Amino acid sequence: MFRSASQHLAIYSPSNTTISYTVSNALHRSTRTSKILFALGNVSRIILCLLVLTIDIVKLQSFVERWPIGFINFYDSAAGRLTIEIIKPLDWRLVATGSFLVLYFCLRKGYTEETLLVLRGLGVQTSTSSPTYLSTSTTRFIPTTQIQDIVIHEAFKGLEVRFYLAIIVEGATEVVVVFPQLLPRRQILEEVWRGARKCLYEGRG
Amino acid sequence: MPYNIAMISDFFFPQPGGVESHIYQLSTKLIDRGHKVIVVTHAYQGRTGVHYLTNGLKVYHVPFLVIYRESTMPTVFSFFPIFRNIIIREKIEIVHGHASLSSFCHEAILHARTMGLRTVFTDHSLFGFADAGSILTNKLLKFTLSDVDHVICVSHTCKENTVLRASLDPLMVSVIPNAVVAENFQPLAYTPRSQEPDHNAVKSMSRRLGPGDTITIVVISRLFYNKGTDLLIAAIPRILASHPNVRFIIAGSGPKAIDLEQMLERRVLQDRVELLGPVRHEEVRNVMTRGHIYLHPSLTEAFGTVIVEAASCGLYVVCTQVGGIPEVLPRHMTTFAKPEEDDLVQATGRAIAALRSGKVRTERFHDQVKMMYSWTDVARRTERVYDGITGAISEDEFYGHHPGSTWSATRGRAGVQSYALIDRLKRYYGCGVWAGKLFCLCAIIDFLFFLLLEVWAPRANIDIARNWPRKPFINDKNKPVGNGVYWRRAYNDRMDRRNGSIR
Repeated sequence: MFRSASQHLAIYSPSNTTISYTVSNALHRSTRTSKILFALGNVSRIILCLLVLTIDIVKLQSFVERWPIGFINFYDSAAGRLTIEIIKPLDWRLVATGSFLVLYFCLRKGYTEETLLVLRGLGVQTSTSSPTYLSTSTTRFIPTTQIQDIVIHEAFKGLEVRFYLAIIVEGATEVVVVFPQLLPRRQILEEVWRGARKCLYEGRG
Repeated sequence: MPYNIAMISDFFFPQPGGVESHIYQLSTKLIDRGHKVIVVTHAYQGRTGVHYLTNGLKVYHVPFLVIYRESTMPTVFSFFPIFRNIIIREKIEIVHGHASLSSFCHEAILHARTMGLRTVFTDHSLFGFADAGSILTNKLLKFTLSDVDHVICVSHTCKENTVLRASLDPLMVSVIPNAVVAENFQPLAYTPRSQEPDHNAVKSMSRRLGPGDTITIVVISRLFYNKGTDLLIAAIPRILASHPNVRFIIAGSGPKAIDLEQMLERRVLQDRVELLGPVRHEEVRNVMTRGHIYLHPSLTEAFGTVIVEAASCGLYVVCTQVGGIPEVLPRHMTTFAKPEEDDLVQATGRAIAALRSGKVRTERFHDQVKMMYSWTDVARRTERVYDGITGAISEDEFYGHHPGSTWSATRGRAGVQSYALIDRLKRYYGCGVWAGKLFCLCAIIDFLFFLLLEVWAPRANIDIARNWPRKPFINDKNKPVGNGVYWRRAYNDRMDRRNGSIR
């Protein structure tokens, strides 16, 4: 029922036969401070990831006999000895769970971005960004010949009634919902709906 | 002022039935008058979500409730979030619940009052007072109707029943009957009056029934105990024995069908009684026009739309004098019987004799029924109720002037029910020693839940739905008419008498 406060629509139209609508709930960073904070956050994520990976490898070493030689040097250093001393007594289950959680939160995107790309004469492509940095986004392409119509309708979702933009595909039993995760508000949907129809059907009068 | 109205009931299409078609017809006619109407019901098999019907009538088939449908108590509050969402996005002002067995409607009325909306309840059925089920239903009805703005009943008998069951002030109960779509129930050889070549000349009398002609008696009803099927089973052999040229056509299904078939087999009457089984509502007219007499042996009935349909098809009606039936048709269209075997047989005999002697002019029934019952009229009268509860017409005009009456204690200065929680609690508290406290508790929890929802799902986050293009608003009240004041008085007087307000 909670809806992230700001969803914004970005329109990119390189030519009048192509238009892409991107809805995203990522925070909009305009000031310099917010940009620097964002960069710092990303850097610390990378460092945290590397740290966790190092700890895991060190812990793994106690199970594996033969290990790449490069690591020996690290053990000889002061930092290396300290790490080993801290990690050695820890239970491996604890380390596994802990590192999994840290990696998961570091690799999570924290926002969703969904796109509708309309190409006149070709078709439309919908895509939803993946929840983590590791996987790729899910896309679906629908050729113009299969598109029956693009409509805005309402449906029950959870404990409320929401508007959604849907593409009716010929021969399919279910419609394809555009922006299925974010389900933007009516105002955004209407703008996308008008633009998409204009781009798809304008040439035909 | 055009209103945004939500009709709420468990019963709606695709399920067939009287309440369902009442809601549909009333909504369509209200839309024609320029209001905005939506229908909220639960999801049926294969029908969930938001649908549009003819005329831009929007129907919400709410899905999740169907799981708990059998038990009403746990769902008292669970419907609230989704109900609030629908009400806000559609900008509803008046919530109109239908049918006393629909838990959906009771909940909606409770929540609507919590949200500060006007509520109307329409009762379509009669109930007893004695058995456990009725007592429970009546208590529940008392709960919701303690805090409702107005109640509509389909007949005066129904009004009496509802007033007693829910301990209501009779002044806040109006009577607005059902109606029929007369065009769908025309006799076989029907020419509208205007198309008759010249109607002062002697008409070619419709073929008069001679003593030797066969008279067909039609019965269309669900074959249940309360529809009087046992009475029918007992009466059929006696009627057929004393009238040789009589046939029966019986349509409908139900648990008593087997008894009926057994009787036919035992008495070997298959050649004189035709059983059609269940018929669809569209086909009812075609069945009715095959007969001359419609027999309605029901034991209890709030209104009995079917006898109006039968009269509209040009059938002479024989019915039991129970419930709201005597109010429905004028004397010359009906023969009444007491709900017992001997009297039913005699009444049918009288009806057959009357038809054979040509005393009854059944060919005029259709035009008469068309004048008496129309959904447009029902919608107009319902609209007047809306005007009354929103304060668009004054309290005196709506409820009548009663000097020295004390009944309006809970009603605010403007003549409308106040929304203040303390006033609502006062109304609920009077429901009973224990029930009153329980109902108060429910009302308080509901109110707290409402506050929680306002925080949890703020109004600003709910998109307002676009309206179907509205029709121009017609309201007789505001329509400029010649000699307006006088006409309006007379009209409202007439409406009051028909709506059952005391004058």
